[in-house]
Amino acid sequence: MRLLVAKVLNGITLLGLGGVLISFCLKGRIDQYLHPQFRSWVLIGGIAFCVAGTIYLMAKKSMDCCVDGECVHTNRQNPWRAAAAFGLIVLPLTAGTYLSKDGYDKQAVLNRGFVQDVSKLPGRNTIGSANAQQGIPPGALGADQDERASAEPPLPQNSSSGGPPKALAKASDPPQTNGNADDGSEQYLPRAADGNVALEVTDLLYGENEESLRKEFTGKTIEVVGQYLPGSKPNEFKIVRMLIVCCAADARPIAVSVQAQKEVSAADMSWVKVIGTAEFQESGGGKAKVTFKAAEIEPTDPPQDAMLY
Amino acid sequence: MSWFSFSWQNFWFSYLALAFEGLPFVLVGALVSGAIAAFVPSRTITRFLPKNHLLANLVSGLLGLIFPVCECGIVPVVRRLLDKGLPFSCGITYMLASPIVNPLVIISTYAAFRGQAPEWNTAIRLLSGYFVAVLVGLSVIKINPARVLRTGSGRAALRKRSVLSIATLPEAAPDNPRATFIQRLIAAIQLASEDFIDTAIYFMIGAAVAAVFNTAVDQKVILPLANNVFLSTTSMMGFSAILTLCSTSDAFIAATFVSFPIVARMAFLVFGPMFDLKLFFLYSVLFRKRFVVLLGVGLFLLIGIISAVILPQVYAFVGG
Repeated sequence: MRLLVAKVLNGITLLGLGGVLISFCLKGRIDQYLHPQFRSWVLIGGIAFCVAGTIYLMAKKSMDCCVDGECVHTNRQNPWRAAAAFGLIVLPLTAGTYLSKDGYDKQAVLNRGFVQDVSKLPGRNTIGSANAQQGIPPGALGADQDERASAEPPLPQNSSSGGPPKALAKASDPPQTNGNADDGSEQYLPRAADGNVALEVTDLLYGENEESLRKEFTGKTIEVVGQYLPGSKPNEFKIVRMLIVCCAADARPIAVSVQAQKEVSAADMSWVKVIGTAEFQESGGGKAKVTFKAAEIEPTDPPQDAMLY
Repeated sequence: MSWFSFSWQNFWFSYLALAFEGLPFVLVGALVSGAIAAFVPSRTITRFLPKNHLLANLVSGLLGLIFPVCECGIVPVVRRLLDKGLPFSCGITYMLASPIVNPLVIISTYAAFRGQAPEWNTAIRLLSGYFVAVLVGLSVIKINPARVLRTGSGRAALRKRSVLSIATLPEAAPDNPRATFIQRLIAAIQLASEDFIDTAIYFMIGAAVAAVFNTAVDQKVILPLANNVFLSTTSMMGFSAILTLCSTSDAFIAATFVSFPIVARMAFLVFGPMFDLKLFFLYSVLFRKRFVVLLGVGLFLLIGIISAVILPQVYAFVGG
């Protein structure tokens, strides 16, 4: 009887685990947790857990598994241990399925601290490879064919769902730019539907280290989507993105400081689209500090991939 | 601002991410372990060893590449091999090296350090683990096994520690010529399932601790610790001993400790698979307590010195 109870519990543990993994994949929630390279493994793993759990439950008699027939797989024989395994593996995952909000709050961002030098991020030692994964098409910066193949398209910069966005703050006089005239950058700078240059937070931060990028960005009307984090003054805030290498557990917050022309009101970590211009102040050594001058700030839907890779 | 600010939202997000990333790898490890248990006769392993002690130790450190057994399953395998005449030093070398020098760990380490020079970090982890295991194996060549092995080690010892779950190479399954392929396959899946559950318990506990640490602790507080090579190395080794992670998935945890220098994380990845809380009890099945304690202290010192003194030079050389 003990063996049967333990066997059933172990089988349920495997099936439950498989169910949670498959559920996250089918609902698309897994996209918020893992780098794309790992996502398919979760689905495969979920199916494998279900298959293993089914076989485990249905197999009538197992072969002697341990030394000289003395089985030391005590959880197979001990229902309490099997129950503990169920409680430690399946219950927390099931609870997390319902309780997780698929994102970090402000406190996690503050605890982790902002990345000060984006060029030192893992896997982002070169400007070319970095931008290959961001908004700027890799071909513009000499990325190779593999990088181009893996480059993702610019994030959606519109807020098509939910009707027209309500502006949180709008300057009476939008910053004067020299427009987004065709100066050659038209070929490779990603554009939003309204014609603005659509950049990621990382692109602006790379501009701090790369003069050629600063020249490209300066004077153009730029759109950046990120999460709102209030600053020290009412008209100052940060737009934050989380950058992950493998999974959300290693996410590092990266942010650009934004100056609006009047007070901004938005919920912490809510998604906003900021339209304006990037200003770079030289800080010596060929580097600069970027500040984004916002002309317009709108709430927006989270991008399909909330994390940057 | 307090140094500790726990939030369930952050905890669940980080915890689930770690679980989703690591559990498939734990499963792969368990499946391989189950397949070996069901299909590979244990005596196959001893065929690979040369007669010369030094060469035998060097080869023993590489056996994990062919017979990948993680630390959860290695103790009974070694006990079994010692019973069959494997030299004691070779058994120690295999026991310490196999949880690191095996293909599953290579794959998982490479994947976990994606974007963080994975080829170098994987190679350095493997070489460090191999070097430490061979060194410890050679250092016990002169030791009389009877002085350190538990009297009546084997069945009696295993029974005394029956609270622990250990995957082993089965006698019946691979050596039974009457077993059909389907029978072996089912046995492999059953063993893999049980190995997975045993290992996943520790992994989930480790993931929970790591999730709390990574989201609730203000990283500025630990920066002084992380900025000192000696302190960061010893603290990460202590951390690995407490977390008792499986070597097939510990790299995913280690890779998230981005505040700590890479040498400290490497100490975590080399020390943890060789000695942690779980292994302390597992080793006690096979060895006398005194030897287990000495082994733990020796490994701590050796890996600590290698990580704090030699590895910084290695990373400087490779540009890490």
